[in-house]
Amino acid sequence: MSVSPGAPADRSTTAQVRASGPGGSIYDLGYQGYEGPRLGREAAIRALFWHTVRSCYGIGRGGRAKIVPFVLAGLAVLPAVVGVGIAAIAAQSGQVGDVLGSNSPIRYATYHGLVSTLVMLFCAAQAPELLGRDQRFGVLPVYFSRALARIDYAVAKVLGLAASLLAMVIAPYAVLFVGRVLVAPDPVEGLAEELPSLFPLIAQALLTSGLLAAIAMAIAAFTPRRAYATVGIIAAFLIPSIVVALVVGMLSGSIADWIVLMSPVDVLDGTNATLFRASADSQAVSASNFNGLVFVATALVGIAVAVAVTIRRYLRIAA
Amino acid sequence: MPLISLENLTKQYRDGVTALDQLTLDIEPGIVGLVGANGAGKSTLLKLLLGLIEPTSGTARVMGLDVRRNGPAVRQTVGYMPEHDCLPPDASATDFVGHMARMSGLPRSAARERTAEVLRHVGLYEERYRAIGGYSTGMKQRVKLAQALVHDPRLLLLDEPTNGLDPAGRDEMLELVRRTGAEFGIAVVLASHLLGEIERVCDFLVAIDAGRLLRAAPLGTFTERTGVLAVEVETGSDALAAALTGRELDVVVDGRWVLVAFDGERTYDLVRDAVAELDLSLVRLEQRRHALEDLFRDEVPAA
Repeated sequence: MSVSPGAPADRSTTAQVRASGPGGSIYDLGYQGYEGPRLGREAAIRALFWHTVRSCYGIGRGGRAKIVPFVLAGLAVLPAVVGVGIAAIAAQSGQVGDVLGSNSPIRYATYHGLVSTLVMLFCAAQAPELLGRDQRFGVLPVYFSRALARIDYAVAKVLGLAASLLAMVIAPYAVLFVGRVLVAPDPVEGLAEELPSLFPLIAQALLTSGLLAAIAMAIAAFTPRRAYATVGIIAAFLIPSIVVALVVGMLSGSIADWIVLMSPVDVLDGTNATLFRASADSQAVSASNFNGLVFVATALVGIAVAVAVTIRRYLRIAA
Repeated sequence: MPLISLENLTKQYRDGVTALDQLTLDIEPGIVGLVGANGAGKSTLLKLLLGLIEPTSGTARVMGLDVRRNGPAVRQTVGYMPEHDCLPPDASATDFVGHMARMSGLPRSAARERTAEVLRHVGLYEERYRAIGGYSTGMKQRVKLAQALVHDPRLLLLDEPTNGLDPAGRDEMLELVRRTGAEFGIAVVLASHLLGEIERVCDFLVAIDAGRLLRAAPLGTFTERTGVLAVEVETGSDALAAALTGRELDVVVDGRWVLVAFDGERTYDLVRDAVAELDLSLVRLEQRRHALEDLFRDEVPAA
């Protein structure tokens, strides 16, 4: 039995074994062409972006791939949930306590300090997998021979990690925000009171996720080896902040000020202090004489530089 | 309009190696064999056509579009099967091929349908949900072919598709390639260093050597024109060669063999007469089966 060549067989024809061997059998139901839309480059970029976001949280992979991201994201939300929960119980029992008030450790201004380590761990765990996997297994030629350009691949992947981090950072802020509005004696008044915090919340979340994602990806782009990338990312976050702390303890003045800007952790601490008009966690940041906007500007420049490094790497990488 | 049009295409790598040297060539749709020894520039040419690497000079057009300027548009309708491993072992064939369909710009639902369709076409159906890491080499090659076909390209570029396959796997892969090209109207460029494969599948042949074009012609004219009659004699091959040269035949001596450029039926007569005249003992007289190979032996005369 054979299917007449040229004419694609009807889909309803019974499967016919044409050839078989150790690799399996070829069932011929006729090849169908594709006449539908080809959405091109933008659609491919969007699809890669969402694929990256899903990979970050292990969606579409095995259960084990979900453990690390969900534990980290869960830990990030936990203080907010606990804080709001206690505040709600306190409010119900008539105690107009100050659970989320200005002395509480769980406030908008302090939350960055609570979660930034978790966000960095998320980067160190996921960024190497997002980029290294395709390098390790030679998948890049398969990507670059499609509707995507090299730059699109790099941008979609960086944005994908940044968006995943943004979700992780903004979720506890959202819990706090909604919690504070609902716990307030008059929710409408509460909302009015909380609204001014919306801008610094979003700005800080964007800067944190943007800068950490950009730096992590810039490092991960340079090695197919997962372990190297993970160590490199942790080192890039940790070592500068240690150096800054040591240097600032020894000397002061403008040199110390400038060195603070070399540490992503301190820069984000600075933007947080600036945006929420609060005191900084890092001594080096508190001691610096900069206008707070310098930290914001540095974070933006850092994002631009790190993304440029990643793009440059992907424009040159062999495929 | 030719399917592929190359003009003075040159690629020089940074270490000074010239992989392609002023290649000018038009390729029409069909199943085209790109043949050459390892390092002849086959992979380089395919990568240049995809815009994976930049040419040092010259232009490459695919379906009328300049590859350098319209990369994404060209690649949207081109499928590429790389020579080396390109599959993540932890993904299933369905996930990988489906993802790559979307990377070619297919909508989500279409990507899913095409993935099922194309995996069935290459003969992976039952196994498609299993992780690729557990696949045999033959199955992996099929996944590689499937990802190149999933967006129903107009042009398929295959780089050594039978690499690592056993003879049965080779046959099946070549049959798949042949059917894809012949029955579904997808133009195919098949790069291989194995002439036997090219002969079986292709109808047009492009031979390159050291980055230069040796010849581009329909397969038929190739074998015909490069036909070589091999004459084995016990002794006196040099004398025979001299005698045949005197009869206006192109010959080359290779030990006990005298290779004669085949020039129609009269070649047999001339060889017979020369052998009889010199009173040599003729061991064998055969038309070389893989005559194509002689393309790459510069000592063999061009007919």
